Amino acid sequence: MIVAENLTRVYTMGNVEVRALAGVSLKVAKGEFVGIMGASGSGKSTLLHILGLLDRPTSGSVTIDGTDVLGLSDHRRTLFRLNRLGYVFQDYALIGELTALENVYLTPLVRGTPKDEYLERSADILRRVGLGDRMDHRQSELSGGEQQRVAIARALVNSPSILLADEPCANLDSQTSKSILDLFARLNEELDQTIVMVSHEDWHKEYFCRVVTLRDGLIEEVTECRKGA
Amino acid sequence: MFSGIRVSAFLAWKSIQRGSRGTFALTIMIIALIFVNLVFLPSIISGVVVTFETQSIDFDLGNLVVEPREGSRYIDGVDGLQRRLEQIPGITGTSPRIAAGVTFSYRGRSAASTLYGITPEDERSVTRIADYMTAGEFLSGGDTDAIVIGATLAGTEGEEAGGLPSLEGVGVGDSIEVAYPNGLARTYRVKGIFETQSFGVDTAAFVTAREMSGVLGLDDQASMILVKTAVNGREEEYKTEILSYGVQEDVWTFREKSGGFVDQAIQSFNIINAISTLVSLIIAIVVVFIVIFINTVNRRRQIGILKAIGIDQQIIINSYVLQVLFITAVGALVGIVLNAGVSAYLTAYPLVFPGGPVYPDVEASAILRSIASLFAVSVVAGYVPAWRIAREDILTAIRG
Repeated sequence: MIVAENLTRVYTMGNVEVRALAGVSLKVAKGEFVGIMGASGSGKSTLLHILGLLDRPTSGSVTIDGTDVLGLSDHRRTLFRLNRLGYVFQDYALIGELTALENVYLTPLVRGTPKDEYLERSADILRRVGLGDRMDHRQSELSGGEQQRVAIARALVNSPSILLADEPCANLDSQTSKSILDLFARLNEELDQTIVMVSHEDWHKEYFCRVVTLRDGLIEEVTECRKGA
Repeated sequence: MFSGIRVSAFLAWKSIQRGSRGTFALTIMIIALIFVNLVFLPSIISGVVVTFETQSIDFDLGNLVVEPREGSRYIDGVDGLQRRLEQIPGITGTSPRIAAGVTFSYRGRSAASTLYGITPEDERSVTRIADYMTAGEFLSGGDTDAIVIGATLAGTEGEEAGGLPSLEGVGVGDSIEVAYPNGLARTYRVKGIFETQSFGVDTAAFVTAREMSGVLGLDDQASMILVKTAVNGREEEYKTEILSYGVQEDVWTFREKSGGFVDQAIQSFNIINAISTLVSLIIAIVVVFIVIFINTVNRRRQIGILKAIGIDQQIIINSYVLQVLFITAVGALVGIVLNAGVSAYLTAYPLVFPGGPVYPDVEASAILRSIASLFAVSVVAGYVPAWRIAREDILTAIRG
């Protein structure tokens, strides 16, 4: 469960202060598929970065599964990301020198998983996202949709309690986007995977349990969607 | 801990395996050349020392020199002392020498240098001058009117010897006149000319001790006795041994006799070597730093991604350090091969120094020292840029 309270994030750009988040409070229960929407510059990505422990808020608190994550040292935050969170970036963020399979098994390798196990698990998850025949291909040999599937497989391989996705369909055509969202919905329904996803596409709402709409760094609206939280 | 190293090694290997081959090869070549530079100069310095010591022992002084006590000009009772010395285990030869500063004259040209009176058989047991005759023959025991002279002293017709004593064109069979310090003069037929490439020896000449004793009025006396030992490098031990046998004369090792010349030369060479080593290591630091800096800057986004997915920054830094270690190891190996090639060439075509031909003397310690220093500077030069980029804020790194 994620509990974020009164989050603010102020960036200083020269002499100008930009308030990306102006006091956002949010709870995400286990098994929810929450969409964070809003116009460009509304603070969606900033919120996700803070929830994903990639950034620190100027003020406020974040508790994930009972852990005050803002109080953790950098090293502990890294471990938390490794063990508890899965993060899908808008632009895939794969390691270009590695094959699809290597990208996926990198984090189990860090966790000290035995070789047989991480190979089997990584191959299995790649098969589940429809890339069973593309495992040995590098990023440059994969389409945008395939790269995003690899990124999703990488985010899921350690069975994270929360999957965070920052506009994962932004660079994809509508058909590929739909297949990615179908995959998320399946993960949410079948595995009870908690997912927080940033999007600005209206038609994505049908996949979300709940939509949190941001405007100027504040929550403008919370809407129950697909199946209700 | 172990899995961290495993991931670092995995990332390092993939980066090497799938990174730019050209950059990799160029970096290795630079490291290899730096390694050659680190090893080459010490090997030449070591070669100079070996050459000087070999020349001193083989042609000039033997391993040890027995000289008259202070205040005496000659050693008396040479035969008896020689017998006593030769009884000492490990002493394989002794050669008494009478030395005199004389003036050589030939066809109106004159040169002042040293003339030695020797017993040819004894001299053969200590020095190897007799093996280095370029013309004619070495002396025999019965020779009285014969002289053998060094190639520099014999000289070449019409050529000056650059300030060294030279008769400018004496050949075997020619007669030269020798003016002794007691005013007597003798004419000798040149029986042979030797060339050892040790300039102190090649400017000297030899007659038999019997002849020189007769001219100088000496009986069973010598200016010095050269001593040859079975093993080189243990001169101090033999000196102590000789003194323990009750020898009253002064005993010197060849190093002591060279008056610290070698030590001074080594000190000077070491300064040059230290400067050269420092420059090489600075080049190594700069090269590795630039390569890793460019590498990490180009992979800044990748480093950010690795951190974002939960890989500790130390694992990332270590992956660059391991790359550097790998590059340095391969560079050092290539350097060893290159160095072997250079050494083989210089052994076939040695550098010629005034003391003789110098062969590179590559010591294992120099190689180990070079490898160790190269690894040390490479690790530092690789660590710093990797650390700088890896500690960067994740989002800043990802945005590039």
